[in-house]
Amino acid sequence: MLDGRLALLTPEGIRLSLTPAGPVRRAFAWTIDFVLWLIAVFVLAIATRFVMGDSNLGEGLFLVVLFLSYWGYPILCEVYAGGKTLGKRWMGLEVVREDGLPVGWRESSLRNLLLVADFLPMMYATGLLCMLFDHRFRRLGDLVAGTLVIYSPKTRARKAAQSGEAHPLPFPLTPEQQRALIDLVERAEHLPPSRCLELADLAEPLTGLRGEASLARLRAYVAGLTR
Amino acid sequence: MKQALFEAQHEALWQRVATLLADKQPSNETQLPALYRQLCQSMALARQRGYSPLLTEHLHGLVLAMHRKLYGTPLERPMTLRRWLGVEFPRRVRQEWRLLLLVCLAFWGVAAAVGLLVWFQPHWAYSWMDWQELTRYESMYSPSKEHIGRDGSDDDVMMFGFYIWNNVSICFRTFAGGLFGGIPALFSLVFNGMHFGVIAAWLSRDPAVAEVFWSFVITHASFEITGLLLSGVAGLRLGLTLIRPGRLSRRHALISASRHIFPVLVGAALLTALAAFFEGFWSASSLIPPMTKFIVGGLCWAMVIGFFVFAGRGQHAA
Repeated sequence: MLDGRLALLTPEGIRLSLTPAGPVRRAFAWTIDFVLWLIAVFVLAIATRFVMGDSNLGEGLFLVVLFLSYWGYPILCEVYAGGKTLGKRWMGLEVVREDGLPVGWRESSLRNLLLVADFLPMMYATGLLCMLFDHRFRRLGDLVAGTLVIYSPKTRARKAAQSGEAHPLPFPLTPEQQRALIDLVERAEHLPPSRCLELADLAEPLTGLRGEASLARLRAYVAGLTR
Repeated sequence: MKQALFEAQHEALWQRVATLLADKQPSNETQLPALYRQLCQSMALARQRGYSPLLTEHLHGLVLAMHRKLYGTPLERPMTLRRWLGVEFPRRVRQEWRLLLLVCLAFWGVAAAVGLLVWFQPHWAYSWMDWQELTRYESMYSPSKEHIGRDGSDDDVMMFGFYIWNNVSICFRTFAGGLFGGIPALFSLVFNGMHFGVIAAWLSRDPAVAEVFWSFVITHASFEITGLLLSGVAGLRLGLTLIRPGRLSRRHALISASRHIFPVLVGAALLTALAAFFEGFWSASSLIPPMTKFIVGGLCWAMVIGFFVFAGRGQHAA
């Protein structure tokens, strides 16, 4: 299939699919992180000024916190919060190792320190160029650290099999066609009603009916297939 | 087999896996590998028999989470950091002695050349800095100052914060710059060496200022310059690997080089942070007599050099 997914073959002979995330989504996540950092630094600056007055002690502590948050925030988030900074969490992204496992200290530090290299010569030009030429959208830091930014795997809730009376198919369907039919019925409640009816109309050669009746017949076929 | 029957048969397994996954604590479930293999088999069956996409997607999510739980559990490696710093760090620095020589040349060589030039032909100093900057430096190290090396009445903690923020960031930038064939890292080292050479030579011309300046610099320079040079070594290693990956592909060569050099980077960052501590609280104090500072500074240099020459010898590599 021609899609953006990446298949990982595990020792158990199972194919796991991960979806690497592209530059735009990651740029959004970076922007969110950056804005959050700016806000936090601003609030902290005001707070130290308020609590400590105009003292140099407050300024010194502020600079230490500035250093720790600037370099440490993404690393700590990625190691302790499942590969997600706040921006990545918002955008539904996460950092994993190339084998799909969670990142550790070394990988996370390397990829975040090399963000400086990706920034050069300006505005992450190197990182963007590197991502555009790499089939898994890795920037330089990702290549060196052996990491990957993917969409967080989302799981939809599993539903019980179709209830209601079953109806046999008028003629046999291939496994792909059966899957398409089951998928349609499972997704039906997320689709707009008019679109549902339109799709049901398309199935007229199979059901011999149109509109609501055709949709009900499709449900009955699926009940027959799954039970 | 119909899907409903299949689901009924495997429901218990899936439930058990789901509860295992919901438990965030590291479990001492010895059945984990066996459970995982059963789960994988059920997913393979569900895919092969063309069961509903919702079911296979759900199973895929379970398998992915189990995969991470099973293989992603970090190995217990007690005292990794201590071993890194005490053994791996000096060993790997010694392995990279050619690069160390190069960065020393880039920093100390340039500093010495520029310094000698300014020492014998002082007017050359103006080609690097204007006179306001030079007088500012001169006033910072004048013997009458309470806090040496600072502009106004800046506090120890404030300067400590500044040194941490500034110096360790330079260290990290030098490392990252090394990736581009090492050129930006070398440039950073040469630039810092030049700066140091000009100021050192200029301030050494006045004996009173010279004593204050050298007693200020000597202690923390042992850690700070070493940290900078080593981050340069780490960056250059990456850059050279990109140019000459050897028998590996460039990507794999970079990954293994970064693994190899990472303890050096950590060590360099820690050394620079240590230097900030000395620079903020020790070097700037005018209460400590210069002689004490020279003795302690000399000891620090001896310790640093001795550490990289002797530490970690005769121990097996990790």
